[in-house]
Amino acid sequence: MAEYLQPGSVEEAAGMIASHGSSLAIVAGGTSAMRYSAPQAEQVMGVRGLGMNKIERSSGGLSLGAGVTMSQIRESLPIPALQDAARGVGGPAVQNMATIGGNIFARQPYGDVAVVLLALDATVTFSTANGERSQKLVEFYDAGAQADGLLTRIDCAAPGGELVYLKCGRRRFNSPTVVAVAACIGIDNGKVGNACIAFGGAGKHPMRCVAAEQALIGKALGDASIKAAAQQAAGACSPGTDSVATEWYRRRMIATYLTRALQQIAAG
Amino acid sequence: MASKIVSLKVNGKIEELVVSALMTLQDVLRDTLDYTSVKEGCRQGGCGSCSVIVDGELRLSCLTPIQEVDGSEVTTLEGLNQSNSITALQNQFVEKYAAQCGFCTPGMMVAIKALLDSNPNPDREEIVEALAGNICRCTGYLPIIEAVESVVAEMSGASGE
Amino acid sequence: MAIKDLKIVGQPVRLRDLDTHVTGETVYYEDVRVPRLLHLKMHRSTYSHAKILNIDTAEAKSSPGVVCVLTHEDLPGKKKFNALAGVGVGPEDESVLAFEKVRWKGESVVAVIAETPAQAEAAAAKVKVDYEELPVVLGIDEALKDGAPVITAHWPNNHYIFPENHRAAQVRFGDVEKAFAEADHIVEDSYETQPIEQAPIETNGCIAVPVGENRITVYSNTQGLQFSLDTTAGILDIPTSKLRFIGGTVGGGFGGKVDMQVEPITTLAAMRTGRPVKFKYTREEEMRVSSSRSAWRVVIKDGVMNDGRIIARKITTYQDSGAYLRFSSYGGMKHCGHMPGPYTIPNVWIDSIVVFTNRAPSNAMRGFGVMAGSFALEVQMDTIAETIGMDPWELRLINAYREGDMKSHQKEVEDAGMVETILTAAKLAGKQLPEAFQNMSSFDQKAG
Repeated sequence: MAEYLQPGSVEEAAGMIASHGSSLAIVAGGTSAMRYSAPQAEQVMGVRGLGMNKIERSSGGLSLGAGVTMSQIRESLPIPALQDAARGVGGPAVQNMATIGGNIFARQPYGDVAVVLLALDATVTFSTANGERSQKLVEFYDAGAQADGLLTRIDCAAPGGELVYLKCGRRRFNSPTVVAVAACIGIDNGKVGNACIAFGGAGKHPMRCVAAEQALIGKALGDASIKAAAQQAAGACSPGTDSVATEWYRRRMIATYLTRALQQIAAG
Repeated sequence: MASKIVSLKVNGKIEELVVSALMTLQDVLRDTLDYTSVKEGCRQGGCGSCSVIVDGELRLSCLTPIQEVDGSEVTTLEGLNQSNSITALQNQFVEKYAAQCGFCTPGMMVAIKALLDSNPNPDREEIVEALAGNICRCTGYLPIIEAVESVVAEMSGASGE
Repeated sequence: MAIKDLKIVGQPVRLRDLDTHVTGETVYYEDVRVPRLLHLKMHRSTYSHAKILNIDTAEAKSSPGVVCVLTHEDLPGKKKFNALAGVGVGPEDESVLAFEKVRWKGESVVAVIAETPAQAEAAAAKVKVDYEELPVVLGIDEALKDGAPVITAHWPNNHYIFPENHRAAQVRFGDVEKAFAEADHIVEDSYETQPIEQAPIETNGCIAVPVGENRITVYSNTQGLQFSLDTTAGILDIPTSKLRFIGGTVGGGFGGKVDMQVEPITTLAAMRTGRPVKFKYTREEEMRVSSSRSAWRVVIKDGVMNDGRIIARKITTYQDSGAYLRFSSYGGMKHCGHMPGPYTIPNVWIDSIVVFTNRAPSNAMRGFGVMAGSFALEVQMDTIAETIGMDPWELRLINAYREGDMKSHQKEVEDAGMVETILTAAKLAGKQLPEAFQNMSSFDQKAG
């Protein structure tokens, strides 16, 4: 029968993770863990009380505590793409409970906010038994999304261009994700200078799509380059089939929704 | 198996409870404290029939570990009845046939209360979004939305309802 | 007497239980407080079609909190039942707990009763069943093919056998083949609908409470309280006087709470343990295990004249009953009576076939047998209109039944209102109809 642990500090939490390893489930908001990992775990660790819910903005960028909720993002973080993503996570009650940290670990096709964080090339910071360690979110996912400590903070620099988020769902509100796309495009002298494109519902975890980005760099953002990027995206991803949508449909929506996002950016 | 003592205020009354590891707020409200208006429809956070207000915020009790609300204030529909805070809404539900089987109704009431507490004058879009987490299989939602609109109109002193 | 003088007709009626719905005081079965309550969780088949070689409950029995474990060996009497046995439909094909073989993925095999739901679930996972897999049929065509694996021996061709050895519930009226030869157009198509889960917010469940003298009180959210009582008594081989069923407060049914899947086993568990037992479907069970609206295939061939009259309608329909009969034969007959639609057609041939597959047993939902049929018929009407170049409203008005017409299942039309209904709908929809059609009534001669 499970043991419920409530560490008094981030360091204590890191220690518990180190000693219990994979038999430990972490509960922040509970909207994911209470369904999936907690019921079967030997130990359950609640982290709501650790105060990881601060939002700090500076000229350099943004620092978000892993415990910042969807509602907090909607109310206090005027970055439209992040607000749009948070708005699409469940209904109002879920938004009051669900955290960014939980969103990063959410199983696909959930994890909409993580998609925007990828497009912002966010850095994640963990508190481990051996101190703090940070890495790029994209590398964290590429390495298999295994955490060796407690996720405490997400940092991102100011976006390097215009940032748009779109979600294909089954309903307008409170819908699980078919696909989600976040695109951050910086234009330099009429050509795409930098591009950061991320998808949800396109693979085992939220992912960057380098192939689509490469199709845009150095080109004008117009019909031709957008079409090329969408084609690359559809081919480069490996969406799954579940009760929400098939792989067939997801692949097509990846192309469609990237096209729409890029057209929105091009229209200015 | 370690039990703990949790103390929280439910519907205005302080409750001190011995709880075991993964008991949820829903378990405690229904089974220990007999607040059976809190329904269990899915235990997945999908239907909203377990909705309650915790520290002023709408939450899903089925996904809330009881140990996370130690020291919190919780309100269920029973508490709203006690304080007569939603009589007008309840009357409008009856007028507009905004319930049939009634199973989603307590969750709806709580969600609407949470909405009107933060936004006393919502338009239809805002009402629809505020209730997006509460599923109803009987009414088709329109009578519920109209009931809320009527209450809003009443409260803001608009003519005609 | 004018409408305004009537006290009930035409007046709004206050819903009886709305007052307690809005205060949350309505008592659903699960809200009844019962001390010393035990919880039942079901160990279910993971195969769609398999022989049961062995059931090992030893580890489950010794699991923490477990009070009782029930297998088919604990079932009294004939062990098999059928929901319609009380009205003479047979044979009994289903068992409360499977033995010999399982016929669908999710079928109940072992019931575990423990002090808490978590303990019951943990113990149910420890039941070990050895299966020998059998070939599976998951579609109507597969099931009806020559040489298909037989699901239930009594129905060797995987379809229900209607009385007098008929393959289908039938309507035979006039001579469709002769009429087809005379028709100006033949319009044929095939329509398929999928299983639809009723998904009430309150899942299926009941609480069975021993109350002394071998009597059990059952709090249930079944849609058919008396029916459930009778079936439970029959399955458990006890007099109906030993059972008291309390319910009628249903958190949404829509046909999804007619199956009596929880009451018999829970009542048996209460009898065995001497304590109250609760069995509540999880949301997953509600979606995967509880019966959905049947999937249907409706194949229609119509003979149509240039002036819009449908002179022949031949329909073969297939209902996917899943692994067991439940109410499907009733649904199939009801469907048959509903076809060929609200139209007067002089030559009608209908075969309504109930097909068995290794899918979850299906059942009713909001118009049992009617919805799939209506969908098929009305799309077909639109297709006919397009084919002969006629307005779809006019096509329907021409063919709508009139007062006194003979329906294909040999019943004369009384109190006809179809024409008036279509005309009123047209007005509300802003649809302009030619005067000749606006003047039609249920009491006129049919056009042409």
